[in-house]
Amino acid sequence: MRIKLTVNGLAYERECAEHVTLLRFLREGLGLTGTKEGCGMGECGACTVILNGRAVNSCMVLAVEADGAVISTIEGEAQGPSLSDIQKAFEKHHAVQCGFCTPGMVMSVKELLADNGKPGVDEVKEAIEGNFCRCTGYVQIVEAVMDLTGRPGGKGELEHV
Amino acid sequence: MVYEFRYLAPRTATELATVLDDIKADGRILAGGTDLIPNIRNGVFKPRIVVDVKKFQGADRMAFGSEGLSMGPAVTINDVLRSKDARERYPSLCACAHELASHQVRNRATVAGNVVNASPCSDMAPALLCLGARAVIRSATGERVVPFANFFAGVKKTVLVPGEFLATIIIPAESAGAAGRYLKLKRIAGHDLGIVGVLMTRKDGELRFGVSSAAPTPVLVDTVGAKDDPDEAARKVLASVSPISDVRGTKEYREHMIGVYVRRLLSEVE
Repeated sequence: MRIKLTVNGLAYERECAEHVTLLRFLREGLGLTGTKEGCGMGECGACTVILNGRAVNSCMVLAVEADGAVISTIEGEAQGPSLSDIQKAFEKHHAVQCGFCTPGMVMSVKELLADNGKPGVDEVKEAIEGNFCRCTGYVQIVEAVMDLTGRPGGKGELEHV
Repeated sequence: MVYEFRYLAPRTATELATVLDDIKADGRILAGGTDLIPNIRNGVFKPRIVVDVKKFQGADRMAFGSEGLSMGPAVTINDVLRSKDARERYPSLCACAHELASHQVRNRATVAGNVVNASPCSDMAPALLCLGARAVIRSATGERVVPFANFFAGVKKTVLVPGEFLATIIIPAESAGAAGRYLKLKRIAGHDLGIVGVLMTRKDGELRFGVSSAAPTPVLVDTVGAKDDPDEAARKVLASVSPISDVRGTKEYREHMIGVYVRRLLSEVE
């Protein structure tokens, strides 16, 4: 089936087999390998992308279902060498260790901040409840978001350092 | 996914009914895909054709009218949670929706898919049961309306037959304003399947309990009276369920926690 979709502001039109997931299409069809496959069944969130404004697990969406959609992936964050604000906040707060969960985490946070410019700690936690991190832990990630959204003193409520 | 299938996305409800009539048992209906796609990947289902029910005109309709709230098969769990009207009129529907899986899954999973999947641990079923919701089931030969109290037929089984699809869920206007709370026992605070879940609603002195993960199907208990003491209420709810021991918990633990939740809800839901 021929599908058209916009990814990170660029329009693509491609032939795509009907059983291929959006995740595989992004990685293998478009070469956008920033989005990761973890569990492949909606538990880990490593494959999170923003589909028509909503964070979704791209391993559970067929590419053909996304025909006509507007998608954001981690590749759309940095502009050349300049990181996005979310990426800078993650870097500053050491919210990245191995980095495998990071593309999904960043996309979940991006969706949250688009809807809710000043989330509370519980809202941040809820936004990333579907994203597993197995090395950094979640505290620094929550701190990064709380810092980014302009909390008093530039400190997240969970600042522990 | 290595397994290959064809994908069809009918553009009208009539066309969808015709397609489902043609393919019958050879196909699988795709709503949010959060169960179907992992199941195909894991080899549980091997459909020749996957039919998307989200793309027909009106599939994503969510409307509040004189008969209540109607939802098409493409309405997602988060569509419900984002609706101010739904939060105000059907708080127990939203309480259940909020406990379902993770934020990303809620962005994709549909209310219709959650009940048609008919897992005993369905989180939306307790709300639809307690609120007296009805399923409008459509096929090439017509339409029938089934109350959710008669919708579930067994583990992962509903009264739907091949060729039929759940076209609309209607939550009656009379149920609007029912107070409710859903307690779901999980291993972690975030995304997890329930060990047991108990919803209690209270409207005009009438109590209802919807219980998940405690029997082959989600269970509605409407025999508890407003004057029953907590132990009597717990006894009546437990008489209606038949939990099993499995990887998530034992029968005894489930029974104990259902009793705890019923007693707690009686004091908490005003």
